[in-house]
Amino acid sequence: MDYQTALAFALPLGVAFAAIGSGLGLGRAVGSAMEAIGRQPEAYAKIQTAMIIGAALIEALTIYALVTVFLLQGKIGS
Amino acid sequence: MQSLNHIVTFLSSEPAHNGGGEEAQHELPNLVTILNEYVFGGTSVGEFLHHWENAIFSLAIVIILVVVARFAYRNPQLVPRGLQNGVELIIEALESFIVGVIGPHGRKFVPFLGTLFLYIFCSNLAGLIPLMKAPTANVNQTIALALCVFFYVQFTAVKENGIVGFVKHLMGEPRSAIQWAFVPLMLPIHIIGEFAKPLSLSVRLFGNVTGEDILILIFVGLGVAVLSFTHLPIGIPLQLPFIFLAILTSFIQALVFMLLSTVYFAMILPHGEEDH
Repeated sequence: MDYQTALAFALPLGVAFAAIGSGLGLGRAVGSAMEAIGRQPEAYAKIQTAMIIGAALIEALTIYALVTVFLLQGKIGS
Repeated sequence: MQSLNHIVTFLSSEPAHNGGGEEAQHELPNLVTILNEYVFGGTSVGEFLHHWENAIFSLAIVIILVVVARFAYRNPQLVPRGLQNGVELIIEALESFIVGVIGPHGRKFVPFLGTLFLYIFCSNLAGLIPLMKAPTANVNQTIALALCVFFYVQFTAVKENGIVGFVKHLMGEPRSAIQWAFVPLMLPIHIIGEFAKPLSLSVRLFGNVTGEDILILIFVGLGVAVLSFTHLPIGIPLQLPFIFLAILTSFIQALVFMLLSTVYFAMILPHGEEDH
C-alpha cells in the first residue's frame, strides 16, 4: 500500500473518530446544561454562556482533524 | 447544453490563475474568480486580483460596516429611531454580554471585542451572498484576527499586573514551598498554553467556515449535476437547507470567537475587586 492509499483511508477515518469523541463529549455537556437549566431556569444566561465555551473547546478537536484533512488532501490526488 | 457543461467544468475545475502549490478550489466562484476567468484572463490585473482576493472582500465588509456606523451616528438623537435604534440595540446587547462575563471593569474592552464579533459575523455571512466569499475561510485572515487578540491580551496582562505579576501569573501564583517546587513544571505549561490560544482560535474559525463553504459547494454542484437527467431549465437549489445551517454556524462561530477572547481577558485581569 503506497502512502496515497494510506492517506485516502486514514483521513476520513480520522475525522470520523474525532467526530465520535466530540459527539459523545458534546452530548454529555449539552445534556447536563439542559438539566441544569431545567432545574434552575433563572440561571439560563450564565449556563448557556458556560455551555457555549465548553462546546467550542470540545468541537475544536474535530476541527483540528478536519484541518489536517484540508492540509493533506492535496497529497492524495493522482 | 453547451453552457451547462461549461458551468459544471467551471464549478469543478481549479481557478485559472492558480499559482502552483496552492490548495484546490473549495468555494463557489465569486466576483474575483469570474472577472479572472472572463475579463482579465492572464493579465497582471487578474494576477493582482487573485492575489488580493481575500483582502478585497474583507475591505468591502469593513467599508460596509463603517458606512452603516456613520449613517447611524450622523445625527444622534437622545431618543433613537430607525437605524440608530437598531445599531444601539446590537451594541447594548454586546456590552451587557461582555460586562456580564468580565465584570464592570471590562467595559473598556467592549469596542475591541464588539468590533471583532461584528466583523467576523459579517465575514462569515459574506460566504452566503452570491458573488461574495467569506474572508474568514482563509487561514491568513483568521490568524491575523487571533494574533490581534493574543497581543492585546498579553499587553493588558503586563499593564494590569506589572511585569512581576505577569511572570508570577505564568508561574501559577506560587505561595507555599510546594507550589514553588512546581514552578519549573508550571512555567512551560502556562507559556505553551498562552501560545495555544491564538492557534486554536484561528484554526477553529477557519475550519468551521471552510467546512460549511465546502458543504454548500458540494450541494450546489449536485444541484447542477441533477440537470443532466431531469431536463429542467434551471438547477435545483439543493444547498438551501445547508444555507440555514450555515447562517446558524456563522453566528455561533462569531459568538465563540468573541466569547473566548472575552474569557482570555477575564482570566488575566486581577480578580476579587468587584464590589458585590
